[in-house]
Amino acid sequence: MFKYFTRALTQRIFLAFLISIIAHAVVHLAPGEPSEVDPSNPLMKPEDIAQIRMAFHLDEPLYLQYAYWIRDLVNGDLKSFKDSQPVLPKIWERFLNSLPLFFVGTLIVWCLSFPTGIYAAVNRGSKYDRLSTFSSYALISLPSFFLAYVAILWVVNNFGVPVLGMRTFGLEEASGISRFMDRVWHLVLPSFLSAMGGVAVLSRYVRSQMLEVIDQDYVRTARSKGLDEDTVIYKHALRNALLPFITMFGLMLPAMVGGSVIVEQIFAWPGLGRLGYEAILNRDYPVILTLNFIAALLTLFGTFVSDVLYAVADPRIRLQ
Amino acid sequence: MTRKNINSPVRETWSHFSRSWFSVSGLIILAFLVVVAVSGKVLTEWYVVFDAETVRLPQKLLPPMSLANANLFDETKGLLFGRYLLGTDELGRDVFARMLQGSFVSLSIGLFAVGISLVVGISLGGLAGFYGDRKIGIVRVDTLIMRFTDVMLAFPTFFLILTVVALLPPSIYNIMAVIGLTSWMGTARFVRAEFLSLRDADFVVAAKALGASEMRIIFRHMVPNAVAPVFVSATLGVASAILAESALSFLGFGVRPPYATWGNILSDGRSYIFDAPWLFFVPGFAILVVVLAFNLVGEGLREALNPRLRRTK
Amino acid sequence: MTLKNALLFIPFLVFLGLLQSYLWVPTYEDQTTAGEGRLEKFISAISGDARLLNPIVAADSASGFVVSHVFDSLLEIDENLRLKPHLAKEYKVSCLATIVVGEGFSPESLLQKISPHLTSEASEIRVLEPSILIRLIDPDGLGPLKEQEVKVTRPNRIEFFLDDVDPAFFEKSLKILGTEYGQEVTGISAVSVSGEISEGLISIATDLAPITEIRPVIDFDLRKDVTFHDGEAFDASDVKFTYEAIMDVRNLSPRRSDFEPIESIHIRDSHSVRVIYKRPFAPAIFVWSYMGILPEHLLNSVALNKEMDARGISGTARDGFGVRASKFNRSPIGTGAFKFTDWKTDESISLARNQDYFDGPPEYKELHVRIIPDSVAREVEFKAGAVDTYLADPHQVARYLQDPAYQPFTSLGLGYTYIGYNLRREPFQDVRVRRALGMAINIDEIIDYVLYGEGQRITGPYPIQTDWYNHDVQPEAYDPGKALDLLKEAGFHKNSEGFLEKNGQELRFNLISNNGNPQRKAILTIAQNSWRKLGIRCDTRLLEWAVFLKDYVNTGDFDAVVLGWGLSELDPDLYQIWHSSQTGPQQLNFVGYKNNEVDDLIENLREEYSRTQQVEMARNLHSLIARDQPYTFLYVGRRTQVVDRKIVMVKRSESGAVVDYEKLRPTPTGNLNYFFNRWRKLEAIPDL
Repeated sequence: MFKYFTRALTQRIFLAFLISIIAHAVVHLAPGEPSEVDPSNPLMKPEDIAQIRMAFHLDEPLYLQYAYWIRDLVNGDLKSFKDSQPVLPKIWERFLNSLPLFFVGTLIVWCLSFPTGIYAAVNRGSKYDRLSTFSSYALISLPSFFLAYVAILWVVNNFGVPVLGMRTFGLEEASGISRFMDRVWHLVLPSFLSAMGGVAVLSRYVRSQMLEVIDQDYVRTARSKGLDEDTVIYKHALRNALLPFITMFGLMLPAMVGGSVIVEQIFAWPGLGRLGYEAILNRDYPVILTLNFIAALLTLFGTFVSDVLYAVADPRIRLQ
Repeated sequence: MTRKNINSPVRETWSHFSRSWFSVSGLIILAFLVVVAVSGKVLTEWYVVFDAETVRLPQKLLPPMSLANANLFDETKGLLFGRYLLGTDELGRDVFARMLQGSFVSLSIGLFAVGISLVVGISLGGLAGFYGDRKIGIVRVDTLIMRFTDVMLAFPTFFLILTVVALLPPSIYNIMAVIGLTSWMGTARFVRAEFLSLRDADFVVAAKALGASEMRIIFRHMVPNAVAPVFVSATLGVASAILAESALSFLGFGVRPPYATWGNILSDGRSYIFDAPWLFFVPGFAILVVVLAFNLVGEGLREALNPRLRRTK
Repeated sequence: MTLKNALLFIPFLVFLGLLQSYLWVPTYEDQTTAGEGRLEKFISAISGDARLLNPIVAADSASGFVVSHVFDSLLEIDENLRLKPHLAKEYKVSCLATIVVGEGFSPESLLQKISPHLTSEASEIRVLEPSILIRLIDPDGLGPLKEQEVKVTRPNRIEFFLDDVDPAFFEKSLKILGTEYGQEVTGISAVSVSGEISEGLISIATDLAPITEIRPVIDFDLRKDVTFHDGEAFDASDVKFTYEAIMDVRNLSPRRSDFEPIESIHIRDSHSVRVIYKRPFAPAIFVWSYMGILPEHLLNSVALNKEMDARGISGTARDGFGVRASKFNRSPIGTGAFKFTDWKTDESISLARNQDYFDGPPEYKELHVRIIPDSVAREVEFKAGAVDTYLADPHQVARYLQDPAYQPFTSLGLGYTYIGYNLRREPFQDVRVRRALGMAINIDEIIDYVLYGEGQRITGPYPIQTDWYNHDVQPEAYDPGKALDLLKEAGFHKNSEGFLEKNGQELRFNLISNNGNPQRKAILTIAQNSWRKLGIRCDTRLLEWAVFLKDYVNTGDFDAVVLGWGLSELDPDLYQIWHSSQTGPQQLNFVGYKNNEVDDLIENLREEYSRTQQVEMARNLHSLIARDQPYTFLYVGRRTQVVDRKIVMVKRSESGAVVDYEKLRPTPTGNLNYFFNRWRKLEAIPDL
C-alpha cells in the first residue's frame, strides 16, 4: 500500500516537472509580443520598448527565461508583465473568486443529476426518461455562450433582476443577510451554466449505474426474500456509483481554470478563467505559464487523491 | 422468447440501435447534414447557385424572407425565389448561402479534428496495449505512453486549446490540428484497454500459434474488435469539436475569413442580438440540431454496443 | 424518511434553496427608486481592467480614465481645444539664448560685435563662466538603459534672456562671425567620455556643445490652494518630482520620450517652477496638459524605502524598485475632483467626491467603473439601468435615437482610419496607382453602410476638429472609370482573363488588417470587391493584433494595411508618423514615406512658436501629404455615447446654490465628458 502511494507520488512529481518544461516551451515559441511592448499607440518609441524588453528578460535564450521563471516562482517574486504585480497573489485572489462558482456548480451538478438519473432509471422507457434524456443532451449541444445569452435575456426580461457580476451595486447599506443572498443569486446563473455539461453526463451515468444494479441477481434475490426493493436498489446503486464519482471530482478541479472562460467573460466574473484569457491576449507569459502549470498540478493532485481513494476502497487495485 | 438468428455484429448492433427513436432520428439528421454540406460546398463554390460572398451594402440586416431589391443591381441571381430566405447579414450577404457554405467547413473541421485524434489515439493505445511489455532503455513502452497520456490529460483541455491557438498563426488547419491533438487521450485509453484484454484472448493466441504475423493479428483480429468504443468516442468527438470551434470564435480565435463556419457566423451575430436577432438564432439553432444529432447517435451507439445495458426480452 | 425519498428530494430542496435567493435581490426598478443612494452614484462600464493608476505609467484606456479623475495636470485643454490654466494659474514662455565666446574675443568685444545683428530685445544679459556639464546620452540608439554619461566642457558664454522664443536670434550674427567661429571650443573637442568615442557620439557632439543655443523656458505659477487627497499641500516640488519620476529609467514610463526635450526643472519658490528646454520644440507645452502630477511626499526615495522595508524587499531587488512598482499605483492619491476609494481587481474601481476640490466639488457623490468585458452584457446592464452610460455600436445608434428614455450624443473621434501602402514596394511607388486605388473605393458608401452614417470623410493627417486640418483639401471623388484610366496611364492593361498587368506582372497584392474590429473587416472585403471590379487581384488576411504588429507592420513586411491612428495629441507635430527618419523597423512611419519638402516643414514646425504660423504650416503639410496619397485617407468614426435621460447638468450661482438644470451638452469639438463634474441624475426625466 505504501509502495503504491509513493510510486503514485513520485510519478506525479516527475510529470509536474515535465509539464512545466512543455508549458514554457509552448508559450514562448509562439509569435507575438507581450503587449506592454506593443506600440499600439504612437507614444511608445523604440527606445522605450527596448528598455521594457530588457527589464522582462525577453531577449535572453529560452532556457534562461525558463530558469528565471522557476526561480521567481519559487521565490514568490514572479511578476506579471501587465502591471509588475506579483503573479501568485493575483492567482490566489482569482482562485478565491472562482471557488464559489466551483462549489455551487458542483452542488448543482449533484443535486440535479442524482434525482433525475435515478428517477429515469427506475422509470426506464417512460416519457420522463425520454424527455430528460433529450433535454440533457439538448442543453449540452448548444454553444455555451449561446445558452448564456439566452438565459440572461430571459431572466432579465421576465424577472427584472440583475444577473451580471459577483454582486449588485448599491447594496452597501442593506443587511448582511440581504447581501449574502445577493451573492448567492449572482452565483446561481453562471454556476448553472457551467454545470450543464456535468449534469448531463452525470445524470446519464447515474442512470446507467442504476440500470446495471437493478438487473443484478442480488436484487432479484432480495426481492424474492421480501426485502424492501427500494432500499436494496438505492444502497447498492449508490455504493457502485460513488466510486467513479471520485475520479470525476478529481478532474473537476482543473475544470475551474479552463472550463469557465466563456461564462466568466459574459458574466463579468473576475475568476481564474478570465485571468488566463486576458493573460493570453496580452502575452503575459508569467501568468499564462503559471496558470497552465497550476491547472496541471491541480489535475495531478486530483487524480492522485482519486487513486488513493480507489486504492482504499478497492482491494484489487492495491495488489497490482 | 424469440430466438434470434446468428447475425453479424453489425446487424445486431443495428437492431439495438434502431430501437431508440432518438438515435434513428439523429442518424437521419446526420445523413441530411452530409447532403447539405456537400451540396452546400458545390452550390456555393463550384457550380454557383447560391451566392455567399457578394457584399450588398444597401441590403444589409434584412429579416428572413425579405424580397431582394432587384432594381439596385443585377446581383439577385443566386437567390431562391428572389428572396433572402434567412435574411442578410451586416454586409448584405445572404445568410442562407453563408450557412450552406459554412456547413461544409464546420463539418470538415469536426471530421478532421476527430480523424487526427483517432489516428493518434489508436496508434498510441494500440502500441501501448500490444507492445506494452517491451522496453526502450529502462522504461516500458506501456509506461512511457501512458505517462505521456497523463501529461496531456493534466492540462485542462479547453484552456490548452485556447493557449495554443492564440499563440499560433491563425489558420483553419491549425485549429483542426490543435483540437485533434488535444482530444486523443480517451481513445488511446480505450484502445489500450481493449488490446490488453484481447491480447490474451483465445483467438489471438490461436492465431499466433498458427504463425500469423503481428501486423496481421493486429489489423485483422484485434482492431475490428476494439473498434466499438472508438466509434462512440469519434461521434461524440465531432460534436465537441464543432462546439469547441464556436467557443474559439467567440473568444476571437476561431477560423478566419474567407472561411465561414457556423461557429463564427454565430459569434459575429451576437452583437446584433437586439437589432437583427436572426443573425444569432439561425446559426445557433443549426448548431444545436447538428450537435444534438451527433450526441444522440453517439449515445445510441454506446447503448447498442454495450452488452450490459441491453434489455433481455 | 426512506433512502429513496432522501436521495430524490433533498437535492431538489437544496436547489430550490439556491433559487430562492432571487427573492432577496432588488429589481432594477427597486434600485432606482429605493433610496437616493443610487442616484448619487455614476456607474460606467469598461471592457478591460485598469493596470496602473498612475499618470506617469498608465498606458491603457481604463487606467487613463481613472487617472483623469483622480489627478490633475498643470494645464488643461478647454472647450475649444486651447490650453488653459489648471493647477498652474499662469504660465509664461520665454527663452535663453547663449553664444560661446570664441577665440580672439572677450565677452565685451563679442557683445559689441553682435549686438546690432541680434533679432530680438533681450531683457537680461549675463556672462557665463566656463563650466562642466554632465549629460546622459544614447548616441547609438540602444535605449535608456544603455545611456552613457558624458562630460561637456562649456567655455565662456554670453546668455541672453528673451521674452519670446526666437530660434533665429543669432542667425545674422553667425554670418558676421564666420563659419570657423568657435570651432575650437565646441563640438567633439569639448566632449569627454569614459571609454571609446563612438560614431554616434561624434555626430551628436555638436548638439552637446554647440556654438549657439536657444533654450525655451516655461515659467509656471502654481495655485496655492490645492491639496492632495491626504491633506498634504501641492507645491513646486511635486512638479519637479513628477518629471524626475518620468525620466527615471526604472519606471519604464511610456511618456519618457515626450519629456526628453526638457533640460532641467528648477524650483524658484514653493509655488513657482521654471522648465528649461534643450532646444526649441513647440509641442512641448502640450505635455503639461495631460500629465497628472504625483504627490512627492508619497513616492520619493524616503517613502519608497519605507515601503520596501514594510514589504520585506531587500538586496538587489531594491535597486530596481521605483514608482512603477509601488503599491501607490493600486490606491492612488492625487489632487483631482474624485478620490480613489476601492479597486476590486477585474470587478470594479470606485471613486468618491473630493469635497475640497479647488475648482469646486463635482455633483456626483461617487463614480464607479464596472469591468464588463462582453459588449452584449454591457448593453444589457445599461438597458436595465445598472450602468449609466453606454458607447453604442454604429448599427445600434438609430435605435437609441428613437428611444425616449435615452439621450444619445454623437461626436467625432480624434483620429482616423486609413489604407496604408508600402511605398517601398511596387506598384505602390507610383502615385497614380495609389490615387487610382483610392478612387476605386466608394468611401461614402462605406461610411453610410458600414458605419451606418456614423463617420466623416477625411483627407489628411490631422484630427478634423483641430485648426491644423485643412478643410480646403477636397477628397477624391469615387470614380472607378477615372481610376482605370490612371492605371492605364501608369502602364497597366487588361490581360486575357480581365486582370490588370504590366510587363507581364499581374497587379496583385495583400491587404491585411487586425481581427476583432468589424469595421476593418468590412473594409477589407469592400476594398477587395471594389478592386476586383477593376481587374486587380487583392488577397486579404485578418491577423491577431500582436502578431499583426510584430511580424508585419513593424518589420515592414506588408503590401497594404487597413489601420487607424488614435491621436490624442493636440499639437501639430507629425514627426513620428511622417518624417523620413522614422521609417526604420518598429517606427511609426512604417509605410516608408520620404519627402524632403515635408521633412523640412515638419522640422520647422517643431520650432515654430507662433500659432498663426503653426496653422499655416500645418495646413500646408496637410495638402502636401494629401497630394502624395501615401495613405488612402478613409474616415473618422463618430462615437455615440448614450446616457440615461435623467442625467442633467447643474447650474450653480456664485454662492453655490443650485440655480437651474440644463440639458447635457458636449463641447463644440464633441467632448461630452468635459462637463462631467456638473452632471447629476434626477429621479425622473425632467422637462427641459
